[in-house]
Amino acid sequence: MLNTQVAEIPAAQSEEFAIERVRRGDRDAFRVLVDQHARALFRLAYRMTGNEIDAEDMVQETFLKAWKQIAKFDGRASFGTWLHRICTNCTLDHLRTRQRRQETQPAVHAAKEDQSDPLSQIAGESPSPERLALSGQVSAILSATLADLTVMERTAFILRHYEGMGIESISNVLGVQPGAAKHSVFRAVQKLRQALEPVAGK
Amino acid sequence: MNTQPIHLTEEDLVLLYYREPGLPGGAREHLRTCGTCSAAAESLAKTLNACDEWTVPEPPVDFSRGIWAGVAPRLEPRARRSWLLPARWLVPAFCALLLAAFLIGRVSKKPEPALAAGLSDQARQRIMAITLADHLDRAELLLTEISNATDTAPDFSSARYRAQDLVGEGRLILQTISAETGETATTSLLDEVERFMLEVANSPDRVTPEELQTLQRRMNSGSLLFKVRIIQSNFRTEGQKS
Ligand SMILES: [Zn+2]
Repeated sequence: MLNTQVAEIPAAQSEEFAIERVRRGDRDAFRVLVDQHARALFRLAYRMTGNEIDAEDMVQETFLKAWKQIAKFDGRASFGTWLHRICTNCTLDHLRTRQRRQETQPAVHAAKEDQSDPLSQIAGESPSPERLALSGQVSAILSATLADLTVMERTAFILRHYEGMGIESISNVLGVQPGAAKHSVFRAVQKLRQALEPVAGK
Repeated sequence: MNTQPIHLTEEDLVLLYYREPGLPGGAREHLRTCGTCSAAAESLAKTLNACDEWTVPEPPVDFSRGIWAGVAPRLEPRARRSWLLPARWLVPAFCALLLAAFLIGRVSKKPEPALAAGLSDQARQRIMAITLADHLDRAELLLTEISNATDTAPDFSSARYRAQDLVGEGRLILQTISAETGETATTSLLDEVERFMLEVANSPDRVTPEELQTLQRRMNSGSLLFKVRIIQSNFRTEGQKS
């Protein structure tokens, strides 16, 4: 390894290098990993939460967990995949808590419900800045439909479609049987199809 | 059981689209020959392809710096073993004391303080080796990152701070071992690392592709990373000897 030409050190090797140091408690090395992965995690968290502030919080939570649990990273999946799993689970917890909070305050706060789910907010009637930022009609319909899915369906679809994760891995991340993960993806696709086909399909 | 499906179900089409396993036997062949199913597959693909149009707002260039600012103060130190400080803290703290002891001894020409004086030569050598290996480790990490950075890597602020730290730490080590050993391959490497780190520390927070390339050329012309790796690994081995 010492004979490697200086100019040709692949990025993967420098990541391994940083992970090794993080295991020894090196914060500088951890910052390298944060720099490398923060943006990709933000995309995942944004899609799941539908809002930038929550997404940023989820990215921070992910890195805090990764620091704590680095000893559990066994290198079987790539480090990026491992972080994505942590991020998905943090965000799922967050979404479930949000959902529970909404369920325990039903009728009185019914009008406020849309405000507490940022995805609904994007899909709402008034053209919020977030909504304007979405690219066109498809984006608007898509985010509205995703907001209507269950947390499980939404997450399974996002992992399958945007993160390129296989059903088997999705079931691992979600802690459900592969059949249930598959079913969630199917349900999500079905609902999206009904909503999107008039503009995008045919 | 007849494995040839009459028509593919919507679920089959979804599995096909995502190239998931679990399709009924003969599904692909059926799709090639059945107009109804291939039309359905095409329509599904159009809908799902349209989902790619959902864009995510692009976070600012220095996004990861903000994330780090939120994360860094909350990073817990690793679990402690018994009443002792963890080894990774103990060593640098101990080394700092030892180095200070050497320096005070040199400057004041007085006998070395008890802590350093009480150590055997072998122990001192070992601690010095570990200190050097740790320092070069951190330098190696930063050098590797700079070497891997692409033209579009813009935020250089964390690299600058770390380079500054390395300059300070490197100076202390260099003074100590030069006083002990005079000029050696190690001291000239430390010197070279320091000069390079100074350049990094004095770079702007956002480097242009040209500035980055200049740094990379400077680094590669002297095979700095290569030398750091070799010497780091030598010291690491030496530090591990009991
Ligand atoms: Zn057919």
